[in-house]
Amino acid sequence: MAERRRLAALAVPVLVLPAAIALTDAHLAAGPAALVISTLAATLAVSGLALQPLLAAVAGVRLRWHRVLGTVTFALVLAHVGGLFLVSAEDTRFALSPDGPTRARMALLATIALAVVVVLGASRARLPMSTFTWRVLHAFFAALVVILGVGHAVITDGALDGVGTPVLLLLGGAALGGIAYAAIRRAQRFPARR
Amino acid sequence: MASSDTPKRPWLLALVLAGVTAAVVVALVTSESSGTGATNVGEAGPGPAREDGVAAATPETARATATATATPARPRRCEATRSNPGGTNNYIPDAPELASLGSGFVITGLVRAARGCRPLPGVRIQVWLATETGGEQDNRASVRTDANGRYRIETAPTVPQFGEPNIHVAYADGEYRDVFIRRVVDLDDTRARVDLTLARDG
Repeated sequence: MAERRRLAALAVPVLVLPAAIALTDAHLAAGPAALVISTLAATLAVSGLALQPLLAAVAGVRLRWHRVLGTVTFALVLAHVGGLFLVSAEDTRFALSPDGPTRARMALLATIALAVVVVLGASRARLPMSTFTWRVLHAFFAALVVILGVGHAVITDGALDGVGTPVLLLLGGAALGGIAYAAIRRAQRFPARR
Repeated sequence: MASSDTPKRPWLLALVLAGVTAAVVVALVTSESSGTGATNVGEAGPGPAREDGVAAATPETARATATATATPARPRRCEATRSNPGGTNNYIPDAPELASLGSGFVITGLVRAARGCRPLPGVRIQVWLATETGGEQDNRASVRTDANGRYRIETAPTVPQFGEPNIHVAYADGEYRDVFIRRVVDLDDTRARVDLTLARDG
């Protein structure tokens, strides 16, 4: 219980700090509302990625809050893309096309990996694979989401430039470390049956 | 349905992980940092913008110069500028002819005909970009080339549009083949040069 309280306390700065940096950045000062909402959604999604493994690590068998935050994070990513469509549909389509820049390709791959993670999580009981295989795949695609998603945010000239960059890197590092920690801890607490 | 045992074919899992990793690496390595063909044409610092008409600001200009100088005995022909992906993003026909779109960033260029490489006076060029005063759909102007085929327009400095400051320059008036260019600049640039070499159809 104390562990969950500590996690709840940690969640506040993890959610608030990047969002505050983004919302107070000059990049959004004259931006349309859709861009502000899209950027805020993306920023909260990064925070969600950092918290997700910790929720899994402290959760019991059912992983209720881990599932909730995973769904919310996926929805935030979709909201980010939807907001960009409202800002400029042509730029968004170009970014998602084969001619789009590297940062957009990273974002597209991260979104696909996140969809895989969500599908794996939602259909775990129905998938014909061992617990070990499921855990490895879930952690692998989650790590891909973090590397590509945070990488996309870092190389994008936007509201998380400057002081936002080390915050992004910190969140990304925490997420990757958290994935490894959660995988080890859950394997110890809930070992796969032989 | 899910079994709780350990994997029966661990090699298959390893293969999947290696395959996905390789696919991601290939996808990233084969991409271009600013999008296909989006050369950086920005310039920073004091001093006049290049006006000599020779210095190459784009790959097209470089090829055009090479083609024009390599065959002096034949009628000169400069390689036509090709549109690049993303060049038409947020294009709206018939932008108003304006003297400027603000101050702090200058876009210049030389417009020539592919056949003969001669400068083209009086050609209408459209420029659009995102600045603090508006997005790409709002912040656009037409400008005409002078007697020497040069155009120039001053705007407010660019701001990142979709993660990177970029400018659009286009010709789409019908006499020559349409050209839509998307070029990138850096945030601290104060000028950019985009030359166009226009060709007729056929």
